[in-house]
Amino acid sequence: MTPTSNPWFTLGVDDLVLARAKRGDAAAHEKLFRVFATEVHTLARRLSRTAEDAEDVVQETFLEVLRSLPRFRGDGSLAGWVRRVAASKALQRLRRHRGHEAIDEEDGHFATTSRAAEPIVARVDLDAALSRIGDTSRAVVWLHDVEGYSHEEIAEMMGRTASFSKSQLARAHARLRQHLA
Amino acid sequence: MHPTLEELLAARDGQAEPANAAHVAACAACRDEVDRLAAVREALRALPQLPPRQDLWPAIARSRDEERWQRPLRRVGWAIAVMALVITGVAGARGAIETWREARLARDTRELVAESQRLESVLTAPGGGGGVVRGRTASTIAELEDRIAVVDESLTKATRPSADVVALWQERVRLLDALNSMRTTRDTYVGL
Repeated sequence: MTPTSNPWFTLGVDDLVLARAKRGDAAAHEKLFRVFATEVHTLARRLSRTAEDAEDVVQETFLEVLRSLPRFRGDGSLAGWVRRVAASKALQRLRRHRGHEAIDEEDGHFATTSRAAEPIVARVDLDAALSRIGDTSRAVVWLHDVEGYSHEEIAEMMGRTASFSKSQLARAHARLRQHLA
Repeated sequence: MHPTLEELLAARDGQAEPANAAHVAACAACRDEVDRLAAVREALRALPQLPPRQDLWPAIARSRDEERWQRPLRRVGWAIAVMALVITGVAGARGAIETWREARLARDTRELVAESQRLESVLTAPGGGGGVVRGRTASTIAELEDRIAVVDESLTKATRPSADVVALWQERVRLLDALNSMRTTRDTYVGL
């Protein structure tokens, strides 16, 4: 699945700016940053533990983008490529912290004592719940449910299997439900 | 038996196995759960964007400029070193028959050129560039590189060993040493 459903990353960079940026034009580089900064930071912040980590991911992302831009052939969208770089950088950073991640207990099974009809929770509650689930689960639920990546794509980015991504997604939703209860 | 949460998520995404899809279609509780999972997804997508707390562009631009500097710095540095060795080599030969002072200047210059090359090779070693640099650190690095460029400009005009040339090489070594110290601090910070 090509991640097209994300409502963010809708802003574009016109061809002229892109061509200038590829040639190393400083003003075009800054334009590129201004267009994508908030979107990249949002993704980075959702996948990172701290605001400082997220800012480092943003810097690493744009340095990589500017460095590799001359080789960007435009096979996919520029936004999708920038987003992919950001996700990879954030996941790299998470891997460095993996040893410290809290262990999730959920077994991924759904008991049918459903709260299905209840209205969805307030944003602030969801925000807080999201920050309380494990790093890997949070990354998977964000990349899949919000960014629109398939389990296969997430598996490739994380160096794991699609089954791992699916189980982490289930774990994330179980944890979210627990924290929102 | 109800499908697992993982299977219900697959149903939500339209990727359920036929048996699970049939179960969800027939089971009100599972349909409700699939709807709830879809609602959570929509709520996640509706979370507000998170702008950076500060403008990160200045630090990114400095790091980009630092990367751009690496290659020219390396090229200029080696070119100057080769030229300096030629000059000092000639002067060294002359030193045998000319003044002791000139020979000493040539020797001092050779030693400083060697030290400059050593520091530069440390500076440009793999992994030395492209990392994250805090704004103040990047500013200091940029200033040091500018000062090295000024010294290099003066060295390119030197035609023979002199006290001034030795002083310039001493300054270059000092600046490269400071630049390496900044790099060590930065690498330690970012965990490289």
